[in-house]
Amino acid sequence: MGTLENQIVRITSRLVAPFIQVYGIYVIIHGHLSPGGGFSGGAIFGASLVLVALSFNLEVGAKQISHDTASILESGGALGFVITGLVAIALGANFLANQSAGFPMGQTGQLFSAGAIFIITFFLGIKVASTIVTLFYNIIEGEDKSGDAH
Amino acid sequence: MGLTNHFPALILAILLGISFLSPILFRWVRKASAPALLLSLFLALVMAVYLLIQTTQVGEFSYYMGGWPPPWGIELKINLIRAYMLIVVLAVSLWIMVYALKDLEHELKTDVLGWYYTLYALVVASMAGMALTNDLFNLFVLMEICAISACAIISIKEDRACLEASFKYLILSAMGTGCFLLGVAMVYMVTGHMNYDLVNEYLPVAVEQYPNNMFAASALFIVAFGTKAALFPLHVWLPDAHASAPSPSSAMLSGLVIKIYAFGLFIVFYQIFPRSLLDSIPLNEIILWLSSMGIMFGSIFAMVQVDLKKMLAYSSIGQIGYVFLGIGLDDTIAMTGGFYHLLVHAIMKSMLFMCAGVIIYTTGIRQIKQLGGIGQVLPITMIAFTIGSASMIGIPGTGGLISKWYLALGALEIGRPIFVVIILASSLLNAIYYMPIIVNAFMQQEEFAYEVKAVPRQMLIPLIIGMIAIVFLGVFSRPVIVLLENGLQLFF
Repeated sequence: MGTLENQIVRITSRLVAPFIQVYGIYVIIHGHLSPGGGFSGGAIFGASLVLVALSFNLEVGAKQISHDTASILESGGALGFVITGLVAIALGANFLANQSAGFPMGQTGQLFSAGAIFIITFFLGIKVASTIVTLFYNIIEGEDKSGDAH
Repeated sequence: MGLTNHFPALILAILLGISFLSPILFRWVRKASAPALLLSLFLALVMAVYLLIQTTQVGEFSYYMGGWPPPWGIELKINLIRAYMLIVVLAVSLWIMVYALKDLEHELKTDVLGWYYTLYALVVASMAGMALTNDLFNLFVLMEICAISACAIISIKEDRACLEASFKYLILSAMGTGCFLLGVAMVYMVTGHMNYDLVNEYLPVAVEQYPNNMFAASALFIVAFGTKAALFPLHVWLPDAHASAPSPSSAMLSGLVIKIYAFGLFIVFYQIFPRSLLDSIPLNEIILWLSSMGIMFGSIFAMVQVDLKKMLAYSSIGQIGYVFLGIGLDDTIAMTGGFYHLLVHAIMKSMLFMCAGVIIYTTGIRQIKQLGGIGQVLPITMIAFTIGSASMIGIPGTGGLISKWYLALGALEIGRPIFVVIILASSLLNAIYYMPIIVNAFMQQEEFAYEVKAVPRQMLIPLIIGMIAIVFLGVFSRPVIVLLENGLQLFF
């Protein structure tokens, strides 16, 4: 606590974290236009949350996103994927259909284009980011428990 | 038409949806999470029955995911055999879940129950997907989902034996999926397609041009499905995994998960591979002898076990051999027997594991030699155990006889009476290790030596349903046999 090295790590990570998060969101929402997408963007975003929790401590990390919230978001992201597929059925096309279901295609190359793919990438991003955080918390908590578990 | 058109995709969507929903439900409306899972399994089953009826009327039909026809999109295909598999998977998993609701409270910590439902729904969804899909890469992904969630429903109990067993299972089944992926890559290399029908169309030419490639691919497929389905020399992971898991997981894994891979091998052999490949390499001969060895050795290993669940697990190695025997005999009658056994064994082995679960729940004992006199205190459970064992042995009036009968008929028809001998010998072996348990349970004079809790009704009702189903399948086998015969005609 309070050593100089700690301060360097903390201040740097506090400075860097927002930029990593913005970059993560950028990669997620440009999933249909550029390399990357839901998975890589989500991983980047999740890594920033893990970074903060690592350089400070678990309580500060949990203030950003708690374990419970992370696991609810995790289920919600995947559920969103399924629901997008079902919406296509409701619109009268096949499961997970995109243009034929009437999702707005927009102008190719624009940010808001590609219909369902945009939506699905977004949900994927949420899912992956929260999965990374959940995994991290699970490993940390597993370590806490291991003293008395076996 | 309308919504009914989308049933193939909706089955998967509902099962995947409930698997993602149940952690949320478990957190917020805990009471609703188990009924929601049961309801969605039931809905999926209703849809599967509808698909079966539809396919008897219009024959084979396909569903294109996202409206993209192959070779671009993923195709789901329904025919009689696939609908049959789908119904077996969904009906048996619904039935196991009814039992599991009570048993899991006892075996798991409360806060992981929601996750168990998630994993359970994922296993069921991936198996339903394997029955439906018509795309090799899609099959690979589903195999991976199934393998990982199957490992997780073993290790969720978090004791030492479970963790060790599921780790072993994870490594070996990862090897299995690895082999499968390599095999798919080889097939893709020479045909340029993933869709079963397109691969099948281009393979005859490819086999002539690149025979070595296809030899390697078929070897890889046999190893992949053999590992996953515990075909004899690749079975080493099964006994630990199935014995140490919570009883509903054991029922699920032994009853369904190994079967769906046998079905996968069937699809690869008879839908993807062209006839010329099967005729030029003795692939079926390999399957035949491996499965025969499995039938014999599985039973022999089972005899020396002292732990009840471990004995049942070894018995599964023998029983999956019958399904493979049906596939390897390459004859409609034998294959009918194999597929019938797939259903019968799914029911009887699940039921036996449920019986073991009830015994563990009420008394806490697992050793076979401690079971003397248990018939007096747990009569219904032990009657169910008796009927399940009778079906394993193949006593008339139970489903086990019918499948062995058809297997033997098929073996005779293609002039391989040696396999009839193997079937008969293994029935005797089965009798050797099942009968003593039953005799001890009912005939022993002394009182049962251990304390017994009352059996919850929720656990007894599934057992009673199972007994009825096994006897029903033994007496009225005709409808299922006719369905299978019609379904298998498509592949010959």
